Amino acid sequence: MDAEPGGYRHRLAGGSGLLTGQEATLERSLTKTSGRRWRPGRGFLVLPPLLFVALLIFAPIIYIALFSVGLRSNVPGAEVAFSLVNWESFLFGDNNPFRARFFYSMKVALLVSIVTTIAAYPLAYFLSFVARERRYTLLLLLLAPFFTSYLLRVLAWQIMLNDEGVVTWAARTIGLIPDSGNISWLIYSTFSVSLVLFYTWVPFVTLPIFAVLENMDHRLLEAAQDLGASRWTTFWRITFPLSLPGVIAGFVFVLIPTTGEFITPLFVGGADNQLFGNSIQGFFGTLDWNLGSVLAMALIITVVILMLVFGRFLNTDLRATTGGDKT
Amino acid sequence: MNRPIENALSRRNFLGGAVMLGGATILTGCGSPAVEETPDAGTSRPPMEQEPGELSILEWGGYEAGGTKAQAYGLVAGTDYTEQYGGNSISYTYINNDDQALQKATASNTFDLMHPCVEDLPDYVSRGLIQPFDTELLDSFGELNPFLLEAGQIDGKQYMIPWDWGYGSLLYRKDLVDEADATGWELAWNEKYADKISLWGGGSTNFEIAGLLLGFPDIGDPSPDEIEQAKQKLIEQKPLNKFYWDNEYGQMRPAFRSGTIDIAYSWQAAYASFAGKGMDVGYMQPSQGRLSWLCGFLLGSTTENYYHAHEYVESFINRPASEDLVNLYSYGAANTAIDINKIENQALVDSLNLDDPMAISGDDVHLQRWMPNQAAIDTAWQEVLAS
Repeated sequence: MDAEPGGYRHRLAGGSGLLTGQEATLERSLTKTSGRRWRPGRGFLVLPPLLFVALLIFAPIIYIALFSVGLRSNVPGAEVAFSLVNWESFLFGDNNPFRARFFYSMKVALLVSIVTTIAAYPLAYFLSFVARERRYTLLLLLLAPFFTSYLLRVLAWQIMLNDEGVVTWAARTIGLIPDSGNISWLIYSTFSVSLVLFYTWVPFVTLPIFAVLENMDHRLLEAAQDLGASRWTTFWRITFPLSLPGVIAGFVFVLIPTTGEFITPLFVGGADNQLFGNSIQGFFGTLDWNLGSVLAMALIITVVILMLVFGRFLNTDLRATTGGDKT
Repeated sequence: MNRPIENALSRRNFLGGAVMLGGATILTGCGSPAVEETPDAGTSRPPMEQEPGELSILEWGGYEAGGTKAQAYGLVAGTDYTEQYGGNSISYTYINNDDQALQKATASNTFDLMHPCVEDLPDYVSRGLIQPFDTELLDSFGELNPFLLEAGQIDGKQYMIPWDWGYGSLLYRKDLVDEADATGWELAWNEKYADKISLWGGGSTNFEIAGLLLGFPDIGDPSPDEIEQAKQKLIEQKPLNKFYWDNEYGQMRPAFRSGTIDIAYSWQAAYASFAGKGMDVGYMQPSQGRLSWLCGFLLGSTTENYYHAHEYVESFINRPASEDLVNLYSYGAANTAIDINKIENQALVDSLNLDDPMAISGDDVHLQRWMPNQAAIDTAWQEVLAS
C-alpha cells in the first residue's frame, strides 16, 4: 500500500510523468477515489467528536470565564456587570491567601511529580529488562488496584494512616512509638497528601517509561557494551537519554492532574494542607462562584501553559522514538 | 503527505468553529438565572394518582426514609411512605452543610423536597426554589410546636415544616481535657490541645462561634469589620485544628473514637452515641452559650409530586416517627404529642431539654438564623481555609 497518494500513479507512468490513454483513464478513476477531492461524508465523521470537544470542553471554560469577569452570577436575579476586581485581587492583592495556596499546591504537585517519576523509572526498567516474559503479568498486577474507585483507595489510605490504622499499630508493635502514642505527621499532613498522590500516580508514570524502554533498539545497548562501555555508562549515555520522552511524558501525566487535585487533601489532608483545588471546590459550594471562577480559570491557564511547554513530548510516538524491534 | 481529512477540517476551521460556538455561549451565557415564580398552595394540579411518584430529595446522610436501601441506621421515619410506595421510588442527593444545600438547590432546582435548616429559608424563597405547603394535607400538622412552625413561615405562608432541632457545641474527652478548660468556646483556641481539635467545615457556624467568643452583639448579622475580626480569630485557631470535618460519620466520629482528636464541634447525637457506648465524654455548655438549630422540610417549587411530597413529610412528622428520632439520634422533635415516657434516655431528655422545643431560643442558646451578609462570610471562610 502506498503511503503517499500519487506514488502508485507515478509508477504507472514509469516515473516519466507521461500517461498513455489507458493510464489516463485509470488516473481519472483513481483520482475519484483518492481522497484529494472534497467528500462531505468524511467531514460528517468528525462532526460528533468535534461537537463533543467544543460543547463539553470549550463551552464550559467560556462559561466559567464569564463568571470570572462578573458577566454571570449563580445568584438568581443578581445584577451582573463586567468587572476585573476578583482577578486584580487574586493576581496583585496584598497577601492574597488563594495566590499563596496556588504556589503551595504547585510546590506539592512538583514534588509529587518528581518523586513519582524517580520511583517509577526503576519499576519500568525492571518490567522491561528484568521481568522479561512475565512483564505484562506484573504490569497487570501493578495496575490491579486501579480497577477500584479512586475515592475508595483514598478512603483506604485514610483508614491505614489514622491513629488506629495498621501503620501506627505496626510502629507500636515493634516499639518505635509508645503503646498509646501516635505519629502526628502520618495523616492530615502534607506527607499524607503527597504519599497518597504518589501511590495514585506511580503506575501511570510507569506506563510511558515502560513503553519507551520496551521499544528501545537493544542493538544500541549491545553495541555500547561491545565498544567497552560499562553497564552504568551504557545506562546513562544510551538507555536514559533514549527513554527521556517517556520520562517527561510520565512527569507531565502526574503534574497536570495534581495541580487541580482536591479529593486526596479533602480526606487525608489537614486544616493546613488543603490544595488550590479545594479552594475552587469550596467556592463552588457557596454563593460566590465569581471568585471561584477566577481561581478555576487561573488553574486552566496554568494547565494550558504546562501543556504548551511539555506538549511536544506528549506528541511523541513513544514506540517510534527509539526505533527498531527488541531483539 | 496528503491528509484529506485535514482538507475537510483544518486547525483553523476547527478553532473557527470553536470560537463561533464560544461566541454563541457568550451571547446566551451572560446574566444570572431568572427567579421563578413561586406557586401558591391551591394552584390546580393533577391528582395524586397522575403524579410520577419518583421523589428526588436533598437530604443529610442518615436521614433517608426507613425502608430505603440508603437508610442504614434503622430510622423509623418515612416507613409509612415506603411501605405504601416502595423504597425504590425515592432518590437522595446529599448535603454536608447548609451553604452547600442552598447551592445544590439553586444549581439544580429539581428537588421535590429538601431538608435544610431554617437559617437559609429566606434565600430559598427569594430564589423561587420552594413553595408553601398545604398544611391541610398533613395530618400531624396540628401537633407541631407553634414556635417552631412560626420560625418556618414567611409572609404568613408555611414554607418549612419543622421536624428536628438540637444544639451545636464542643464535644470533648473528659478523661483528656481538663474540666477547668472546658468552660467556653475558647477551648478550641487553647494551645494545650493543639492538633487534637476539629471544628466543622461549615463556614457560617464557625463565624458564629468566633462571634460569640469575640462578644459580637448580634452573631447573625456581623458588620464587615466584625467579619474581618472573626476571620482573623479563625485564622488564629486554624493551626490548632487537626482538620475541619465534613462528614460526621465518616470523619469526625472515627477520629474522635480513635483518639486522633479529643475536642470536636458536634451536634448532640454524637455526644449521646459516645456516652451511650461508655466513653467519658462531655458536651460543653459554653459560658457564651451553645448554638442551636432547627431543620425541616421544604417543598420544591417545580415539584410534579405535590401530594406524594406531602405524604412523605407526614411520614416523618407523625408521632411514632418523631419518638424514634429522639431515641435514635437524641435530637428534639417538632411534634409536641410525643410520649416523653417512650424516650429511652431520660437523663439526656433532662440535660438537653428535649421535651421543650422552646429551649433552642433560651437565653443561653443562640438559634442559627438567616445571615444577611452570607456571601461575605462565605468568601471570608474560604480565605480562612486558604490562609
